[in-house]
Amino acid sequence: MEDYEVQFVDRSEREARFVVQPITPAFANGIRRAMIADVPTFSIDTVRFIENSSVMFDEQIGLRLGLVPLTTPPGEFQMGEEVTLSLDVEGPETAYSGDLESSDGMVGAADDKIPIIDLKEDQRLELEADAVLDVGKEHAKHQGGVAVSYRHLQQVEVVGDAGEFDDDDPQILRGVIEEQAAEDAVETGGYEPEDGQLVPTEAFDNDLTNRYPGKELEVTDVDGAFVFDVETDGSFSVDELVVEAVGTIEDRAAELKESVQL
Amino acid sequence: MMVPVRCFTCGNVVAEQWEEFKHRTREADEPEDPAKVLDELGVERHCCRRMLVSHKDLVDIVAPYQ
Ligand SMILES: [Zn+2]
Repeated sequence: MEDYEVQFVDRSEREARFVVQPITPAFANGIRRAMIADVPTFSIDTVRFIENSSVMFDEQIGLRLGLVPLTTPPGEFQMGEEVTLSLDVEGPETAYSGDLESSDGMVGAADDKIPIIDLKEDQRLELEADAVLDVGKEHAKHQGGVAVSYRHLQQVEVVGDAGEFDDDDPQILRGVIEEQAAEDAVETGGYEPEDGQLVPTEAFDNDLTNRYPGKELEVTDVDGAFVFDVETDGSFSVDELVVEAVGTIEDRAAELKESVQL
Repeated sequence: MMVPVRCFTCGNVVAEQWEEFKHRTREADEPEDPAKVLDELGVERHCCRRMLVSHKDLVDIVAPYQ
């Protein structure tokens, strides 16, 4: 088994960008799909209305509640397990996701300020809701990863000087580059020129002529190196999402191995 | 009627940013440039930006006819 090398370009609780190598396109896509479809999150699935005198129908409010991301600690719950939440707000006031009260401290609205419904004088919303643990494959509201994608790591080679009378058109490139020609690069966005360094293209405003002025360039993909862009809806952190996604692939591989062995 | 909870295209939660966006670009005494406000709120992708830019709250308009 080869070891994977993982280098982070950006990293925060809900958003990260990292380079993995060596990895095949097939496996990279497998991880992406697992992050989108196979990592379970809690989401409200059944709502019992006690009173709804707002301007919206029960179904519309049910839809809005279903889309509110709920914190889901990995490994603490079984698939299909339920947690009950309740909400009771009287107008004039806006009911927010933060008004949802959970019966389990580990599961609750990930964002507190999502407006559910604006209540006017004498209007009231009182309800009880069951959140269920399920996967994105079943319903998009259970999808913990948002806009998860990957692309090739790219390298930029200097193949000569730009002609004296060439147009100075910008050379737009997006993604992350692995620096190969530090001697021709200038410092941009806090990234000093250094061979082998990972530089996000935002550092030079996505224009290669800012980083390598006056040079003729050639951009190629780096074999077996992919840059992942991962964002979560707040159900869990990016780290947890990636680890859980890889875990689901591992579990299925183990299951397959077992059933093949007889 | 109410601002959609998530972006239709990518599934990012956009409703959280709505009230501040609405206030700073439409209700404030000196309305700011919506593009700048969206940048500051961290609404990056254009699919998510259109969710806020094109939204209109209708609860106040509908409420009297209930
Ligand atoms: Zn979006």
